[in-house]
Amino acid sequence: MARLARATRARGGPAPEPVRLEAAVAVRDLTVAFRTPQGLLPAVSGVSIGLATGQITGLVGESGSGKSTLALTLLNAVPHPGQVTAGSVTIDGVGDVLSLQGRSLRRVRGASIGYVFQASQNSLNPLKPVGKQLLDLGRSHGVGDLRQLLRTARTLLDDMGLDAERVLASYQHELSGGMRQRVGIILALILNAHVLILDEPTTALDMISQASVLGIIRKVHAERHLTTLIISHDVGVIGEVADRIAVMYAGRVVEEGPTPEVLASPRHPYTRGLLTAMPRITGDIAEARPLPGRPPDLASVPGQGCVFRPRCPLATQACAAAEPPDTVIGDRRFACFVAAEDTP
Amino acid sequence: MIEAHGITKTFAGRRSGMLKRGSVRAVRGIDFTIPDRGAVSLIGESGCGKTTLGRILCGFEEFDRGDLVVDGQSLGSIKPKDRAPYFRRIQMIHQDPYSALNPTKTISQILADPLEVRARQLDADGDWLTRRRAELLGLVGLDPDYALPRYPHMLSGGMRQRVVIARALTVDPAVLVADEAVSMIDVSLRLGILQLLRELRDEVGVSVLFITHDVATARYVGVGGELYVLYRGRVVEQGSTDTIIQQPVHPYTQCLLSAIPVLRGIEQAGREQVVPRGPLDEGAEPPGCLFEPRCPFAAEDCRAAVPGLGQFGGTEQVHACLHPARRSVVATEVANAS
Repeated sequence: MARLARATRARGGPAPEPVRLEAAVAVRDLTVAFRTPQGLLPAVSGVSIGLATGQITGLVGESGSGKSTLALTLLNAVPHPGQVTAGSVTIDGVGDVLSLQGRSLRRVRGASIGYVFQASQNSLNPLKPVGKQLLDLGRSHGVGDLRQLLRTARTLLDDMGLDAERVLASYQHELSGGMRQRVGIILALILNAHVLILDEPTTALDMISQASVLGIIRKVHAERHLTTLIISHDVGVIGEVADRIAVMYAGRVVEEGPTPEVLASPRHPYTRGLLTAMPRITGDIAEARPLPGRPPDLASVPGQGCVFRPRCPLATQACAAAEPPDTVIGDRRFACFVAAEDTP
Repeated sequence: MIEAHGITKTFAGRRSGMLKRGSVRAVRGIDFTIPDRGAVSLIGESGCGKTTLGRILCGFEEFDRGDLVVDGQSLGSIKPKDRAPYFRRIQMIHQDPYSALNPTKTISQILADPLEVRARQLDADGDWLTRRRAELLGLVGLDPDYALPRYPHMLSGGMRQRVVIARALTVDPAVLVADEAVSMIDVSLRLGILQLLRELRDEVGVSVLFITHDVATARYVGVGGELYVLYRGRVVEQGSTDTIIQQPVHPYTQCLLSAIPVLRGIEQAGREQVVPRGPLDEGAEPPGCLFEPRCPFAAEDCRAAVPGLGQFGGTEQVHACLHPARRSVVATEVANAS
């Protein structure tokens, strides 16, 4: 699949330019399409985004917005029948991830990029205690000193406020949701990855466990000088931990910028609608409004014009004709014709 | 009106074999009242007994001790097999609208099945079912022409949850029990379901028991209603939704509210943050206050006896803490946010 994707790109577009590496991860014009009975449908469509070194980037979007597909592409792990049809993913110290395969790809996964999967209880082996899985991970990556690996794991577990010996001896079903999520983070970091990707890290957790897992993410991020990407459907989670926020809709990043600024003055109507539709602990209940319509799936994304147009209160003629380009203002950007006109 | 008096439920453990485990005291004597057209929210972390309580109320689970009074009838004093008509007055809205609807039936059939039974009960004529079906879909905000011929997979999560609510309304219930009813719904559509539950209180006269760990959602359904904070099967704080959210006095409620993510740029975290000391240990049975082992403010007397519910310290709400104190844990809106 990877080979096929590369061939397509070689034929299709110009060679990727060299990438500026103040972003530890640079995604350029990435399109990932899925082969379906209706043809090749893009789940991620022409996305460019950089994960700034040492920052937490939050990717927020509803189901079907392409956020998980984008994250899996960073591992070069797009599931069948998906394929990268255009674009590149460059990771600092690794290079073009999409050109890797076999052993070199496996080495990068884990050693350079740590990935915490959605519902990490499902990514732990139910038949082996956590400690054994940790050793498996070390062996498969050719770690020489496995004792040292266990010592590192114990330190990490202690830092997270867990009883290290107990957790290492436990099977996944013996751990609570919050504990499993912490184990997932440890497995992602144990090989000293410098890029950490977390897909919905708190979705199955209740409020108190969520707060403690978010605290841990912030702590390991700072202590290990990581570049972190958090994916969530919950603006609250992203609003709390992320330095920068990227809002995805129908396979596009429609708005991006520093979290407090984007939340305080959202430019894209989707970001604004999402914030107005969000049940919050503050603010006037009477002013809350659900977004009309429904999030699109692969087949119902409008083929022409702005993808948010069918649900947009501001849509004009221009929005139907062409897809809005990014408007860049300082370190913020958004893709909306109407908001661009309002910009001085 | 539904009243619960001292509801208690213990799940038996297994004494032998590989999966040995102790019994779980899920609900330890809870009183509550759901008034007509009212809203009651139960909040707490996983394992606090809120789901068990909802299931007991719907008749899915039997209670060990205590009594449920539905429309004036004490269910504890009649045989379990005679309770069915009373439990029919209480309908559950499940968390997952994707598995709550039969995928092989159209929305039209899904609603017709219970309505046929209802039509026989009411001795209604042939047109009644068709009219009632369209009326119910209208009530939940769906266009009958659009929804009726479709299968569940053709609808969004939000629409499916609306169908589930319409189906629950077919039997003219007095109470809808909504257990995490929006957690599987897309974020942009959640508010629509919360608003619908609120509107149904006025339009159909149904009461809502809203069960959630997400305090913010309880705020939208529970306008003018009561909020109960549960911890390990006991009510620890109870009062009007606004009072509990704005002026919580029990340290556990304060932990829950401190844990709510803060939207930087729009909100500012409360001045004091209360964090529990360590995770919940379900095996521990402290002699005094159940929250004492995790409470950052625990004092010597907290270990002595189980505190009862009351208004100690002259608070507006009732609570079960010997040392209630107001702490500003809740985020506030930043001024001049646009």
